Amino acid sequence: MKEDLVADAPMQHPDADKLVGMEHEKQYDFQLPENYFYRSEKGLDARVIEKISYFKGEPQWMLDFRLKALEIAEKKGPPKWGPDLSGLNFEDIYFYIRPQEKQGTSKSWDDIPEEVRETYRRLGIPEAEQKVLAGVGAQYESEMVYHNLKEEWEKQGVIFLDTDTGLKEHPEIFKEYFATVVPPEDNYYAAVNSAVWSGGSFVYVPAGVDVDVPLQAYFLLNAQQIGQFERTLIIVEPGAKAHYIEGCTAPTYDSDSFHSGVIEIIAKENSNVRYSTIQNWSHNVYNLVTQRAMVYDNASMGWLDGNLGSKVTMKYPSCYLVGNGAHGEVLSIAFAGDGQHQDAGAKVIHAAPNTTSSVVSKSISKGSGTSSYRGLVQIHEGATNAKSNVECDALLLDETSKTNTYPYIEINEKTAHVGHEATVSKLNEEQIFYLQSRGLAEDEAMALIVRGFLEPVAKELPLEYAVELNRLIELEMEGSVG
Amino acid sequence: MATLTDNPLLSAGALEAVIRKGQDPDWLAEERRAALRTFDATPWPTERDEDWRYTQLQRFAVTNLEPTDGPASREVSERIRMRMEDSDAEGILVHANGETIERVAKIREEGVIFSDLRSAVRDHEDIVREHLYSTVNAHAGKYHALNAAFWQNGTFVYVPKNVEVELPLGAFTTADRGGLSMGRTLIVVEDNAKVTFLDEYTSDSFDGRLFHGAAAEIVLGPGAKVRYLSLQNWGRNVAHMNRLSAKLGRDARLEALTVSVGGDAARAEVHSTMQGPGSESEMLGLYFADKGQHYNQYTLQHHEADHAFSDVLFKGALRDASHAVYSGIIVVDEGAQKTDAYQTNRNLLLDADSEAVSIPQLQIGANDVRCSHGSTTGPVPEDQRFYLMSRGMRPEVAEHLLVTGFLYEVMSRVTLPKAAEYVERVVQAKLGVPGVKEKL
Repeated sequence: MKEDLVADAPMQHPDADKLVGMEHEKQYDFQLPENYFYRSEKGLDARVIEKISYFKGEPQWMLDFRLKALEIAEKKGPPKWGPDLSGLNFEDIYFYIRPQEKQGTSKSWDDIPEEVRETYRRLGIPEAEQKVLAGVGAQYESEMVYHNLKEEWEKQGVIFLDTDTGLKEHPEIFKEYFATVVPPEDNYYAAVNSAVWSGGSFVYVPAGVDVDVPLQAYFLLNAQQIGQFERTLIIVEPGAKAHYIEGCTAPTYDSDSFHSGVIEIIAKENSNVRYSTIQNWSHNVYNLVTQRAMVYDNASMGWLDGNLGSKVTMKYPSCYLVGNGAHGEVLSIAFAGDGQHQDAGAKVIHAAPNTTSSVVSKSISKGSGTSSYRGLVQIHEGATNAKSNVECDALLLDETSKTNTYPYIEINEKTAHVGHEATVSKLNEEQIFYLQSRGLAEDEAMALIVRGFLEPVAKELPLEYAVELNRLIELEMEGSVG
Repeated sequence: MATLTDNPLLSAGALEAVIRKGQDPDWLAEERRAALRTFDATPWPTERDEDWRYTQLQRFAVTNLEPTDGPASREVSERIRMRMEDSDAEGILVHANGETIERVAKIREEGVIFSDLRSAVRDHEDIVREHLYSTVNAHAGKYHALNAAFWQNGTFVYVPKNVEVELPLGAFTTADRGGLSMGRTLIVVEDNAKVTFLDEYTSDSFDGRLFHGAAAEIVLGPGAKVRYLSLQNWGRNVAHMNRLSAKLGRDARLEALTVSVGGDAARAEVHSTMQGPGSESEMLGLYFADKGQHYNQYTLQHHEADHAFSDVLFKGALRDASHAVYSGIIVVDEGAQKTDAYQTNRNLLLDADSEAVSIPQLQIGANDVRCSHGSTTGPVPEDQRFYLMSRGMRPEVAEHLLVTGFLYEVMSRVTLPKAAEYVERVVQAKLGVPGVKEKL
């Protein structure tokens, strides 16, 4: 099997040097030998699902759930709207790969296999960082292989596990909340995920607990044509506070990859939850993710959604404001380079009185890239005094760059105050000229302006992510002149 | 989910009768037959279609309606007489249930053609043939295919090069019985010529249900200027389906205003294509829905050429369990640099039972552009109401004043004083301002 894999795994995406700067390529374009003891057959059918469930040793109800989800997916079919997904062929995708490492046993960084650590080093995650970071759940292929949770949290009763272990160790909590926020009926890709999900994070924060250091999970995609279907479930009890950070970056491959996650968050009364993610998949990944939070009375939910990589991304983090005084926030940044289509956005459903929401979207299109904002604001009857504001700014760097804005606003309540604004502009020549007159090279000037454009979102990120984002923007902007 | 179904009366045989009745020349008969084929091949819109998902489709059903064969009475009704006297237009045609029953024209300029569309097909065949179906044809959608095949009559306006028609022209489309009627307006304005045209749809209430399909094609040559008003104030038993499509040559300018205040359900699609560099299109809309009325307005600002300008402003108010949709898109083609395009939708919700949907969209394929859009929906601002009440106004008077003022912003951008006054009176009557109803 090993020879097999190496034989059909070319080292580099043919357009890699066009897609990203040279340094970027050096840093990310590598592959490590792959050792698996189980990989599903290509394609999706009931047999594959039964095998996944068998290998995971799941309870019967989960297998039934998966099979029902498959039925729903088959009935629904892919959506007719949105970006071109014709390059996505299910027949050609492995829906499950189990790494050799047995999950959940690694307790310290030293226990992590050398090749995985090598991967992290090449990605620029310093070893020292993991000591600072509270707990690192790293997803190597389709399962969590590494977990480190600070002892005090264990004492506080915080659960931070990979989702498979969560199901095994906390079945009662799991069953109560799983698929209640995003049922498989919700959309086609959520149904596919429900059928084949594997890995992801399971977070439970008991009432009143303030998790002051962010919970983080690094994700990796490292086998050709692998399907990555993480399923994250975050439950934050009344009065508790948590910040979850997911960052992903993947080596480049030559055949299309498919990533379709489902993130479910339950933010109970008076809780405060933030979920931050920056995805930087290689430019051949189809990234179709459903992210949704149920927000109860006076709770506050914030999504920070950064989309830099992938070939096509469709991702619309949403807040269902179902409790009186609930607040939802979405900050979205998208960078679409050559050949990329970032179809990002936000959804906010106001279903209770005195709910408020704010959406800020910043997108940049470069070369032949297309970025879209697709959004929905819905105010239900009876959701009195709801307030919502949406702002979308798009920056177009080249003549061939494209941007789209599709905001849907549905209002069923007289006392609602809803606003939406969007602007489209190009890089300001006067600003570039000024910076050049101060001694900056043209591409430096452009990168500086782009970073300034993203500043309102970047400043909401934890420092190390803001630094990483700035570095990525610099790399993307390199060689953009002439 | 309710679905729309075919009407067996819209057959090939029925179309031949229309062709015979109008003594259509061969080319037109062929166009109509081709349109019917497209109509038959096009499925009815469903809620699964993006452009129709917010439309209450059943209210636009044509299933059991018989194409009307002229009005019950060829007399110009009292209502139309009054409207004609109170209109900004000096040249007027009256169409009733698909037949033209009156023409009054005071045109001083030479070479200007103003007639019903059937007569124009006969008398000015070359010009009509060149431009008919050039902006709205059977491929624009199911209902437009229906119109392209079965249109009964309509209005034709032609203004030759460098002629400025001083007095506004207009047409009243009315009905006195139910069924299916379809009208068409074709306005061709040559280089540097200028005209103002008012399309008004109005009727008293009558027995039965009427579906009226309207299409307006406006062709603007280089430097041409057109002001166009579409005012829909049908009786409450009418469904109104309207498409206005304009194409603009270099430096042409269009000012279009679409007003929806009547009918049971109305859908107005306003499309403008900037084909020539430097062309400008201002598209305004005003709607006030009450007592369960259902309005759709769909706009398209299509920038094919560079250096063009377009601006959309649609404002609406809703009350008494009514429902309105605004959906607009700015499309900037690759290479349409230096485009300046704006889009604004504002809604005033006057009660909790009503629903407003707003979808302002952008699709930008060029980078050196200035594009923006904005949308707001909310109640009558409390501070403004408070201020007026502090000046001694009763709460309902304050509300009337604020709603009228909100909507009047749109009317004030078009210099058609009589139309503006009339719309204001209709709005006030809908608001229940005492003593206004009698003046309509």
